[in-house]
Amino acid sequence: MAEERFLQMEDLSKTYPGVKALDKINMEIRAGEVHALVGENGAGKSTLIKILAGAEIPDPGGRILIDGEPVSFAHPLEALRRRIAVTYQDLSLFPNLSVVENITISRKIEEGARHIDWREMRSTAQDALAKLDLDIDLTTRLSDLSLANQQLVAIARALVHDARLLILDEPTSSLSAEEVNALFRVISTLKAQGMSILFISHKLDEVFAISDRITVLRDGQHVGTYLREELDEEKLISLMVGRKIRFMQYEKRSVGKPLLEVKHLHKKGNFADISFTLHQGEILGLTGLVGAGRTEVAQAIFGRIIPDSGQIYLRGKEMKITSTTQAVQAGIAYIPESRQTQGLFLGKTLADNLSVTRLDSLANQFGIIRIDLLKDYVGKWIQRLSIRPPYPKMLIDQFSGGNQQKAILAKWLAYEPTVLIVDEPTNGIDVGAKSEIHQLLRELADQGIGIIMISSELPEVLAVCDRILVMRRGRVAAEFPKDDATQEKIMNAAILGGDARQDVS
Amino acid sequence: MKQLLRSKEAGILLIIVLLSLLITLKNPVFLTSSNLLDILKNNTVPGIVAMGMLLVIITGGIDVSVGAMTAAVTVIIGKYMVHAGGNLLTVFLLGCGSGAILGAINGFFVAKLDIPPIVVTLGTMSIINGGMLYYTGGSWITNIPKWFIDFGRIKLLGIPVQILFLVGAAVLTHWVLRYTLIGRGVFAVGGNPIAAVRAGFHKDKILLFLYSYLGFMVGLAAVVHTSIMRQVDPNAFFSFEMTVIAAVVLGGANVLGGEGSVFGTILGVMMLAVIQNGLILAWIPTYWQQIVVGAIILLAVSLDVMQNRRRQDQLTRIDVAGEAPFGG
Repeated sequence: MAEERFLQMEDLSKTYPGVKALDKINMEIRAGEVHALVGENGAGKSTLIKILAGAEIPDPGGRILIDGEPVSFAHPLEALRRRIAVTYQDLSLFPNLSVVENITISRKIEEGARHIDWREMRSTAQDALAKLDLDIDLTTRLSDLSLANQQLVAIARALVHDARLLILDEPTSSLSAEEVNALFRVISTLKAQGMSILFISHKLDEVFAISDRITVLRDGQHVGTYLREELDEEKLISLMVGRKIRFMQYEKRSVGKPLLEVKHLHKKGNFADISFTLHQGEILGLTGLVGAGRTEVAQAIFGRIIPDSGQIYLRGKEMKITSTTQAVQAGIAYIPESRQTQGLFLGKTLADNLSVTRLDSLANQFGIIRIDLLKDYVGKWIQRLSIRPPYPKMLIDQFSGGNQQKAILAKWLAYEPTVLIVDEPTNGIDVGAKSEIHQLLRELADQGIGIIMISSELPEVLAVCDRILVMRRGRVAAEFPKDDATQEKIMNAAILGGDARQDVS
Repeated sequence: MKQLLRSKEAGILLIIVLLSLLITLKNPVFLTSSNLLDILKNNTVPGIVAMGMLLVIITGGIDVSVGAMTAAVTVIIGKYMVHAGGNLLTVFLLGCGSGAILGAINGFFVAKLDIPPIVVTLGTMSIINGGMLYYTGGSWITNIPKWFIDFGRIKLLGIPVQILFLVGAAVLTHWVLRYTLIGRGVFAVGGNPIAAVRAGFHKDKILLFLYSYLGFMVGLAAVVHTSIMRQVDPNAFFSFEMTVIAAVVLGGANVLGGEGSVFGTILGVMMLAVIQNGLILAWIPTYWQQIVVGAIILLAVSLDVMQNRRRQDQLTRIDVAGEAPFGG
């Protein structure tokens, strides 16, 4: 392995409104190494990739150097010209175009070509596929290929650019074990030819199998870069977790009778054999990596996904929910993750947003809204959830993320639900507001509501939840009572599959 | 060959052949060369505009202002010929040029300001229609010079000159779509806009180009239309955009973007023409045409949407441990 420096990042930061996604990252990538990038959800991996790919512009002050020379990318094309190629997790291919074009089109753009020479493109694509030892019909429509082959097409595209750095974002998430092995053989070949590879994966066994060095990110900060030999899985996990944010200490609370029982819930391509019980007054944490099937389980309880088999019992009675309307009538509320798009009427006032779900009860017999009732109603919820500032006529857009979240909670609480499902309730809001939401959830649970909280933020899960369910690849990997749970144990289960460790295949 | 048989185009061709057989059985006049040439000539105008519309629809966009734009260009060149004279070349330059400028205005709002195309083109449609009414007072331009009328009567080997312009527009559009990078960019933006930008395409330039290209085709169609009608009626293009959009969609272009071909679009134009002509020859009231065309469009679009949803479903699946992986 060559030891020469190839690409350096100096004090690379990226700030989004309200969130520091990357905080002064300093790292280097050497020529001809496989460099793994690991970290929890939201640690900053995607942001880092996007900056290297020219899809995001870093905050001023940071620098990227290639061969010691500073570079900056304002457009993905500029990164490609510096021979940095990315295969995105979503592959970023064109389903409606042929394999030939998917492999060669960005190269044509980079060359500044105006015309298409199909014969030349075919031979370029053929060469790239040959390097990967791959036999795909070049005229096939991309959408007719398996995901594994689509992945390889994305890599072939990088080869056509003579990439010096190939960034692979979760390349194995949809591959079988055999296909993963084939991909690793390709990576080894490319590495032997001097290409550097930045490999992003949640699957630590793969990280250890393929990489020379491992960089750990946490909360947008560079925890460290280590030789593979310096680490083992346990050590790596302990580096990934341990976020510094501290919330109000968990206090043990008493829970009541079983409220919601889920038995052997199964939906092909979403989740399998999900069983758990939620008690009255209990906050059940549902955690795991993004894409583990948490949201899908929640949507099944809420009637948005119809499971293939399994039962859901509410207070001992089996429920057959086939629509969200039925779920709401049964007393189940679900607050989705994307607050701005799914939960709020932007451009409307706080009062409008608070009252929209219960307008029927605020109208007289002719269906005309009674202003006096509306005022009382809105005032009551502003006070009950202490929404700040308490101005009913202010546009909802102008409230902070935490108070917007409260407005959504109020909307759903107005239905007096017995089961409340919240999906990443504190995503993208500041720490103080997070604590307020946590306190609110605790109070709701104390009133007897059963709460399922989906969250990737382990300190939050540990601070709020009475019991924690960890999902991995569509199944329940582990269940911990609060007293038993630590960040390390949860992460272990989320990544490796807990005690009853399943084979990665 | 196998691919051709499976393609949408083959299905459309089959429908056209069946329709033609049916109509010929009822009225043998249909299958005479003079009737077929007539059908073709009368549909060159929607056909030429459909070539531009095809590009817009491949990117998942739409342009409802083409009727207003075509009418506006006919007025522009009509007034020009009546008042300034000019010659064939200047008429074509003026027609295509003003069409391209009108298209570029749509393109600017869609590409640079990222406003949904339906909103932009509804707006420009209204402005152009209003402006035209103000300018012409709704009156026709009838004294088109003789040299232009003579041009419209030219036949080459028995084929009306108008049909040659449609052939030219089709060949040019096919070449743009198939052999230029910007043409492939049209497909790329329609198939996966995020990936298109990541691959290095300048999405705004592509959009600006294709709305201008549609405007250019509109200008060409306006000249051809005037050469057929020998007069200018500012109201002749009422609901013209429906015909054009219907032709492109019937021709197999996917309204969700990413799919469409020149050959298919030509077939779509033909299908509309055959239905229209056949119903007249068969003495069937023409409102049936609107009903049949509307039903076929809804059916075609529903199939596209359902297919797309199935594809989305497969992409969002989770690799559940223990389940057979869905990729290989």
